[in-house]
Amino acid sequence: MKSHPLLVLLLALLTLGACGKDETKPRAIPTPDPAAKPVEVKLCDNHTTTTVAGDAPKTRELGQKIADSLMTKWKEKNPEADWEVEERKSRTFLPSADNSAVLKAGSQAPGTPYRNFTQRDLDEWKRETETLVVAGSKVFHSGDELGSTIAVSCDMCHPNAANTHPETYPKFQTQLGRVALLRDMINWCLEHPVRAPKMDADDPRMRAMEAYIVSQRTGTTLSYGKH
Amino acid sequence: MQTRVRIRSLVLAILLLVGLGTAAAQQKGAHGAASMDDQQRGLAALALSADGSAVPGGVDAQTWRGAIPADNALDAKRIALGRKLYFETALSKDGTVACATCHDVTRSFTDRRPVSEGFNGALGRRNAPTTMNAALLHTQFWDGRAESLEDQAGQPILNSVEMALESEAQAITQLKVAGYDAPFREAYGRDLNYEDVQRAIAAFERTLIFLEAPFDRFLGGSHGAISADARAGFELFNGKGRCVACHAINRANPLGTDNRFHNIGVSARKQNFEQLAVKALALLKEDSSEKKLDELAVGTDLSELGRFMVTKSYADIGAFRTSQMRNVGITAPYMHDGSLQTLWDVMDHYNKGGEANRYLDGGIEALALSDAEIEQLVAFMFTLTDERFARQNDAEQARQRALAGKQRPFRNDDLAQRKVLVFEERALGGKLGGGK
Amino acid sequence: MKSIETKYMEEREAVLRALARLDRRAFLKVSAGALGAAIAAGAGVTPHSFSLVNVAHAQDKPPEGSPPEGNPGTKAGPSPAKPTLANKPAGFTFAYISDSHLYKRELNDRFVRSLLRAVDDVNAMDPQPDFVLYGGDLAQLGQREELDLGAEILKSLKAPVRMMVGEHDWYLDMGARWRELFGEPNYAFEHKGVQFVVLNSVVEEDFWTPAKLSPMERMQTVAGLDNGKQRPFTVGEEQRAWLQKELASVPKTKPLIVFSHSPLYKLYKQWNFWTDDAEQVQAILKPFQRVTVIHGHTHQILTNRIGNIHFHGMLSTAWPWPYAPQGLPALTIQMNRPDPFNPNDGCGDGEVLVHPDGLVDKLYKLWNRNPVTVSRAYMSSSGKQDSPLAPNSGSY
Repeated sequence: MKSHPLLVLLLALLTLGACGKDETKPRAIPTPDPAAKPVEVKLCDNHTTTTVAGDAPKTRELGQKIADSLMTKWKEKNPEADWEVEERKSRTFLPSADNSAVLKAGSQAPGTPYRNFTQRDLDEWKRETETLVVAGSKVFHSGDELGSTIAVSCDMCHPNAANTHPETYPKFQTQLGRVALLRDMINWCLEHPVRAPKMDADDPRMRAMEAYIVSQRTGTTLSYGKH
Repeated sequence: MQTRVRIRSLVLAILLLVGLGTAAAQQKGAHGAASMDDQQRGLAALALSADGSAVPGGVDAQTWRGAIPADNALDAKRIALGRKLYFETALSKDGTVACATCHDVTRSFTDRRPVSEGFNGALGRRNAPTTMNAALLHTQFWDGRAESLEDQAGQPILNSVEMALESEAQAITQLKVAGYDAPFREAYGRDLNYEDVQRAIAAFERTLIFLEAPFDRFLGGSHGAISADARAGFELFNGKGRCVACHAINRANPLGTDNRFHNIGVSARKQNFEQLAVKALALLKEDSSEKKLDELAVGTDLSELGRFMVTKSYADIGAFRTSQMRNVGITAPYMHDGSLQTLWDVMDHYNKGGEANRYLDGGIEALALSDAEIEQLVAFMFTLTDERFARQNDAEQARQRALAGKQRPFRNDDLAQRKVLVFEERALGGKLGGGK
Repeated sequence: MKSIETKYMEEREAVLRALARLDRRAFLKVSAGALGAAIAAGAGVTPHSFSLVNVAHAQDKPPEGSPPEGNPGTKAGPSPAKPTLANKPAGFTFAYISDSHLYKRELNDRFVRSLLRAVDDVNAMDPQPDFVLYGGDLAQLGQREELDLGAEILKSLKAPVRMMVGEHDWYLDMGARWRELFGEPNYAFEHKGVQFVVLNSVVEEDFWTPAKLSPMERMQTVAGLDNGKQRPFTVGEEQRAWLQKELASVPKTKPLIVFSHSPLYKLYKQWNFWTDDAEQVQAILKPFQRVTVIHGHTHQILTNRIGNIHFHGMLSTAWPWPYAPQGLPALTIQMNRPDPFNPNDGCGDGEVLVHPDGLVDKLYKLWNRNPVTVSRAYMSSSGKQDSPLAPNSGSY
């Protein structure tokens, strides 16, 4: 049978209207049955849950309480989540250098491969650098993270990385019989006072610790070879 | 052409055999050493530098030159003179003892005895260190009381349990009688005097450098120069064994000693240190000369105090200089009193954390090395012997292995594996909490 | 008139020349420790302490009343009799062992070994000290097994032991096990005419309840020297009141020695080398003519004098600490930088020689080093006389 174009159009419009109508109007929340059982609310990690009474009035406050409860439970399962905040609360850190001079006008000529730097760049540099330093501090202060078999951490002899004197490396370390870099001494300390397995030079923990140790001597003159 | 080569290598082989001396071919000299003739032959076979002009193999030029003092430059005359003096028994009271008696060329330049025998069969208190490479040590004697080879050379001559001459004057007289006037005038351009005697002997000793071992070839890049066990041993040496802390081997210091003094507890087996220290101070109050120090160091109980006798420092009680690792395979017995017979004994001593005493160096602790690891370390140590002594090294290794197979008197697994702690028995009179 | 130092150096030179031949080559190079040669040359030597200690004693009699501020030359010259422990008139000694930070032996035997070494040292003293002070931080994390282990080891000390508490002992269970083992943390006693007071000076304001920390979390926070979450040490109002009351009946002329874990002055807050109510505590102590504070916590040679109060730190058996970047008292002559390759370096135990006048010589018996004495002459003269040797490898 020949389809009448106008009819099709009308049908289409009606259907569209119906669908659109459904999407624009919020769905009615089914009225709870007073005898309903507690409802289990699951977090988007598909794992953490909390329960709410089935008949509780669905207010904004309740919604916030559910969210808070899920957050607390998740944090309990993931205690390290706030590690940077916690670490910063526990120790003092020297700030990274102030790079604001780089923002001064006229510091970059037009047409050069590098664009001018912006405040966003400075913020990124500061944040990333300091995060690595704080991560290093975390390893430095934790026997477990270091892999110590005798529960010794670096800060037991080096609070705030005192007496690590990174500015004196490289130097001839008599007892190693050769010239040592900071990481050689770190590895020596890992092997002996800390009794942990040595770290590879590119181990993320080693890199972080070096960042922390070096950063805490900011402003000290490099004096390599100083005994 | 081929025949000539064959004959020549045959001659060399014979020379080596005769020179290095098997027990059968050797004639006994006085006090258990090989005869001076045998030793001279042995020395000839080693073909050492006659004029000290070339840097010996295995040592870095700067290190070598730095070890030669300004007032005793090396030349052929001085070396020849010193060589003669090294074997000169006229420098002893009864004409039987020379340097070479206790520093026997055919016995790795030591005497392979726990302590040495000198004039009248008297026994000293200390093991004779090898003359090999002694030129590169920072001080001489186990307690470092001599600043240089020159300083050391003059002391045994006057020591009553060693060569026993009464005085420097007497030594000069004996030498004059033996016809040394002219050689000294030629070598040093002045009349025979005691200091020049010391210089000449030292000049000769500076040619005794033996640093060309399989280990050096390994360091030079030849991976297969030492066995897999020895390579593993070297790893342990620098790591779990903690040996490198005092025995590091490097270009500026190829001997494997830090030239410092440590109490590792060897002497603690014998004496009560505190009583000895008080006694030593009282004796030295009366006579604090170098000669007296020398006598006390070698000849009496006080020998056990080691470096303390020199510095009177609390930190040096019972401390002796870290000995060199070079040629260690052929210079048994070990330690300042020769109390450790084999390298396995040495490993047992360190493995258990030395011997507890009030002045034990804090760097000594129980190592918890396994038997296999000990084998690897010992294998490594035997690769430190100069290749000119390869045959002796192999023989020694076999001999020590056989002996260690029968007895390991210093072994203590409880201490080594930290089941019992060093100081635990001393402090508590028993184990903590019944022991674990 | 020559100062004591000049005479001492001359005596040393003479002995060293006698030891060696005159030419340079044969001159024995002796370390600073060979100053002990001066002892060999002339001084008395005690059976258990043959060190520089006794040679350097300038005077037998300390100045009466308030300490001198002026020219050392105006005071009495050196006494002819060289004082040693053997020949001094009735005074007494006590030993100290401190800051052992024990873990259970299966976990970490190194700290156990060090404490055993200290016990061996003290037991070998001849004559034996009157008592042994344990300076606090017996355990590392306040755990029962750690405290019990420490108690067992200390039982083998021949001399009687006086215990003092440190923060590492306290903050896991707030002193429950400590009290069971050792009694109340603060107490007083008298010995041979000297009044002793032992304080719990590691009281911290409650930071753990608001942060909802578990006991172990609390302990680990306090255990971190540089952990800023904890609060400064104090003696606290209650204990200050107790102290005031205890001392009320003590005559002001009686010598007073205070044992405290925290230093009772303000050195470096970041590491809790600090007592927050120090001024108030010092005010209570000030009226007494002779007051000495012996404190732990700092694991190094530390010397201070505030008014008439002398402060001395104790060594740790477990590990040494670096010197704080600021706040170091002027009187402190640092010890040589410890050698990390020797785990016992910078550690040790010691003795306090209490003279009849109630002032003390503080003896630091560092392992593998010459002992260091900080004498009462040094303290009384505010550092002008009898100075201990300066380090040749200072802190970085």
